[in-house]
Amino acid sequence: MLELRDLSVHYGAVRALEGVSLQAAPGGITAILGANGAGKSSLMRAVSGIAPVVAGQVLLDGQDITALPPPARARLGVAHAMEGRRLFRQLTVEDNLRLAWSFGARREKLAASLAEVYARFPILETKARTAAGLLSGGQQQMLILSCTTIRNPRFLLLDEPSLGLAPIIVQQIYGFITDYAAKSGIVVIIAEQMAALALKVSRQGMVLRRGRVVLAGAGEELLRGQDGTTLAASYL
Amino acid sequence: MDDFFFSLLLAGISVGAVYALIALGLNLTFWTTKTLNFGQGSLMMLCAMLTVFISSQGLAITLAVVGSLAIVAALGMFIERWTVRPALESSGGSMGWVVSTLGFGIFLQGMAAKYFGSQAVAFPDVVFTAQDFVTVFGQYISLQYLVVLAVAVALILAFELFIRRTVWGQAVHAVSLDPELALVQGIPVRRLILGSFMLSSILAGVAGVLIAQIGGTVDPAFGFDLVLLGFVAAVLGGMGSSLGALAGGLLVGVISKLVGGYVSTAAEHGIAFALLMLALAVRPQGLFGRPEVSKA
Repeated sequence: MLELRDLSVHYGAVRALEGVSLQAAPGGITAILGANGAGKSSLMRAVSGIAPVVAGQVLLDGQDITALPPPARARLGVAHAMEGRRLFRQLTVEDNLRLAWSFGARREKLAASLAEVYARFPILETKARTAAGLLSGGQQQMLILSCTTIRNPRFLLLDEPSLGLAPIIVQQIYGFITDYAAKSGIVVIIAEQMAALALKVSRQGMVLRRGRVVLAGAGEELLRGQDGTTLAASYL
Repeated sequence: MDDFFFSLLLAGISVGAVYALIALGLNLTFWTTKTLNFGQGSLMMLCAMLTVFISSQGLAITLAVVGSLAIVAALGMFIERWTVRPALESSGGSMGWVVSTLGFGIFLQGMAAKYFGSQAVAFPDVVFTAQDFVTVFGQYISLQYLVVLAVAVALILAFELFIRRTVWGQAVHAVSLDPELALVQGIPVRRLILGSFMLSSILAGVAGVLIAQIGGTVDPAFGFDLVLLGFVAAVLGGMGSSLGALAGGLLVGVISKLVGGYVSTAAEHGIAFALLMLALAVRPQGLFGRPEVSKA
């Protein structure tokens, strides 16, 4: 269980998040929706420990981690795919994976973990010796997802996994995320601008606007409401 | 090949290898924090001075060297914690560390002058004496120079293997590329930074002992211009490149010794900085500096 209690994140005078609360149970996807600058990324950064939290708490399975540094949170099983396709671009695909595995939970041997990744995304095996920065956008997103899952996380945070990708790649990426969430039974949180896409696979959703929660509920409810006005209105 | 040229060449290669060690130490902290410890020269001096002092108390010379290295390593961590970190944390991205690390170096130099005296003291022979030599093809080769060269090259190789082949070496590389991503991936960045300053100081300490071994004496001012030469070597080779540090070190060492021998010893340091200016004008990324690899 991942829980946020009245969380506020301020960057100097900029109030990125104001009193946001959330409960995300394992075994389902939670969608965080909202326009650019709504606070989606700040919420995720607050969970992984790289955003300035000024008030409120972050709890993992009831344990308050608000004061823990990022590596300690990573050891507790938080994996965060940051926005902007963050990878070690000068390192090869395999070095990225090996590094992620080395500082992860290491539930399996490296060879077995790599084999699993390569079976899922064969293109990554073909490009194993290529610098990550030279991959296409879709391949980079596959590598980023694999770098988070190879760590055997318990709390998976994905920041805009569809951003800037071709629709067919987006489908493949979302197929993988849905499978992984169902199979692993962990907490998965996805930040998305494309609301319908994320809500279709989510158990619950939450819409942020200028750092505050304006709408929250079950995924399907929010999705059905889209034909009406509520979801669209909360973006304006 | 005439004897004079050959002896200059060997001396150049030996001190050049030591410059490379200093450059590696500078590279290491540059990787983890994008800062350089400009007090590196004082650590070299202090390590050599402490070695002289400890061995004069009757301890075996090897023990004295190891003990001095341990003290210098601890000082390296102190420098990170109290001169670099506060400067980096205050008003983001300031260059305060340039002054604070240099200032701490000057402080150490002053302390050394106060407690060990400002006169040059003789540095004990660690393995061979200055009179030991071997003859190869009729050339006299000082064994001390050979030992310095061997130790420096062995350390550079070990360092390179550590960075390339171990998980922790990879982690250092990762921190240099994207510290925030490294943090989120569970890499203990803080400990790596502390470790990098420790290791960098040890490299400086070893370099200090090796140079003192060649020169035969050590005084509190020693090391200050040496670290500048190490800096020239690092920039010449390409800041952050180990191969570049070695090439840059050898280049600076050999050229400055040749100029010192054939022109004037007064020009020895001048030529190094002329090289630096030339490098910055013609190839600012250094001999082995790589451009960014990226695709939008």
